[in-house]
Amino acid sequence: MIEIRELTKAYGGHTAVDRLSFTAPPGKVTGFLGPNGAGKTTTFRCLLGLARPRSGTALIDGRAYRDLAAPRRTVGAVLESSGFHPSRTGRDHLRIVARAAGFDAGGIPAALELVGLAGAADRRVGGWSLGMRQRLGIAAATLGDPAVLVLDEPGNGLDPEGVRWVRQLLRGWADDGRTVLVSSHQLAEIAQVVDRVVIIRDGDLVAETGIADLAASRVTVRVDRTEPLLGELGAAGVAHELLADGTIAVAGRDPAEVGALAARAGVTVTELGRTATGEALEALFLDLTGGDGR
Amino acid sequence: MSDLPTLVGAEWLKVRTTRLLHGTLPTAVAISAAGVAGAVVSADDPGTLASAREVRDVLAWTGSGALVVLVAGIVLAAGEQRHGTAVDTFLTTPRRGRVVAAKLAVGAALGLLVGLVTAVGAAAVAGAAYAARDATLPLDDGEVWASLAGTLAYTTLFAVLGVGLGSLVRNQVVAVTAALAWVAVVEHIFIGLAPDLGRWMPFEAGQAIVRTPLDHLLSPLAGTAVLTLYAAAFALAGRRATAARDV
Repeated sequence: MIEIRELTKAYGGHTAVDRLSFTAPPGKVTGFLGPNGAGKTTTFRCLLGLARPRSGTALIDGRAYRDLAAPRRTVGAVLESSGFHPSRTGRDHLRIVARAAGFDAGGIPAALELVGLAGAADRRVGGWSLGMRQRLGIAAATLGDPAVLVLDEPGNGLDPEGVRWVRQLLRGWADDGRTVLVSSHQLAEIAQVVDRVVIIRDGDLVAETGIADLAASRVTVRVDRTEPLLGELGAAGVAHELLADGTIAVAGRDPAEVGALAARAGVTVTELGRTATGEALEALFLDLTGGDGR
Repeated sequence: MSDLPTLVGAEWLKVRTTRLLHGTLPTAVAISAAGVAGAVVSADDPGTLASAREVRDVLAWTGSGALVVLVAGIVLAAGEQRHGTAVDTFLTTPRRGRVVAAKLAVGAALGLLVGLVTAVGAAAVAGAAYAARDATLPLDDGEVWASLAGTLAYTTLFAVLGVGLGSLVRNQVVAVTAALAWVAVVEHIFIGLAPDLGRWMPFEAGQAIVRTPLDHLLSPLAGTAVLTLYAAAFALAGRRATAARDV
């Protein structure tokens, strides 16, 4: 269980995270979303004892990271800012983590196997691709079999197949009852796997909700001719957006009301629903986070 | 959380799994051996080579490896920032002061090891160079052993100083450049303009420890005390800074 309470962190005059509160419960994948610069990495750094917050707390199972008796057995973290010594092999990197954490080195082959690096482990990391480094980071995070996993933009550097693999890992961990907190600047990348979303913008909480509830907060409608309906929606003063896939996302109205507006516009409804997916979900996310997808 | 011996073991493993030792040891040996051989070859009169002053003049070069371990100490600490491994290190050990303590211990061990190897190597080279000039290195003279023992103290303390500096400054390039510029330029200026002040500086203190026969230097004992204070000050400052600031 991760609990962020009233967390504030400022750098110079810039407040990166401002009285942020949210929780990530066990057994669920919590997506931590926001555009680049929203404060996601800063929040993680405070949570993991790498940065000292100005005020507020960030607790893991009720304790601050630096007060954990065995941090790597409790939390596995993969951060974007972490790196590897280029002349060290992948296996040696894991040996160092294991040695410093007091783990038996016997778990290293299994960790390498899990991330598909068993064959490359004895080569120097300097020649590895970004995707392989991401996998090595995940292997290091899982060495201690932690009950809490924190991943910062794990999809970066991975190909679509790698992204799918990460999603399966996240799902598996959560189904095991672990707490999984994963950040991304793109909702679409993790929408399929998250149970809950925490959305921040400029260091402030925008939404903390189940992914289904988030999706249901917009009505999407597809009609045979969009122009008349767009005109009708505009005339009625209803917030809406024409999406690239040709559907129209409508805010603040239920499906029956949207259907009535379509009837008044004289168009035929071919799809109407509350579950935003794909384009509609991403548009909703951009709405919530400021719209321009910085 | 892991105890200090465990962390020292992990830090030593970090050294062993990179090329730091492979680079440091041969470089230190080569520099000090070249210095010693050069001093013997350039001595004006082979007949005086066995005198205490000449022995000190020659064997003081054995301490040249100290500059190499100073850089190695900086790399040991600041290299983690350069390569981004600091994050993993501090995730494993969030009490960051303990990591610096372990690094200081490993730095000292590295300095001692390099001091030992360069002392033995340089003494062998000195013996051979003396023989080449039809002279004998007076191994029964306490000066020889005092100089070689001084080398161990000098390299050990400079390695610790390097770890402290690298922990304090964090930017490896800046720290290495600043340290070498200090030794090569700043101290020279002080020695030239104000030797009474210059003799208290770290590199001059090191020169005193290896018994370089220069009049402005402190006594070897005073030099050891002064350099120990510098090493301790940088170690403490590096440890405090690492514990206090964000990673």
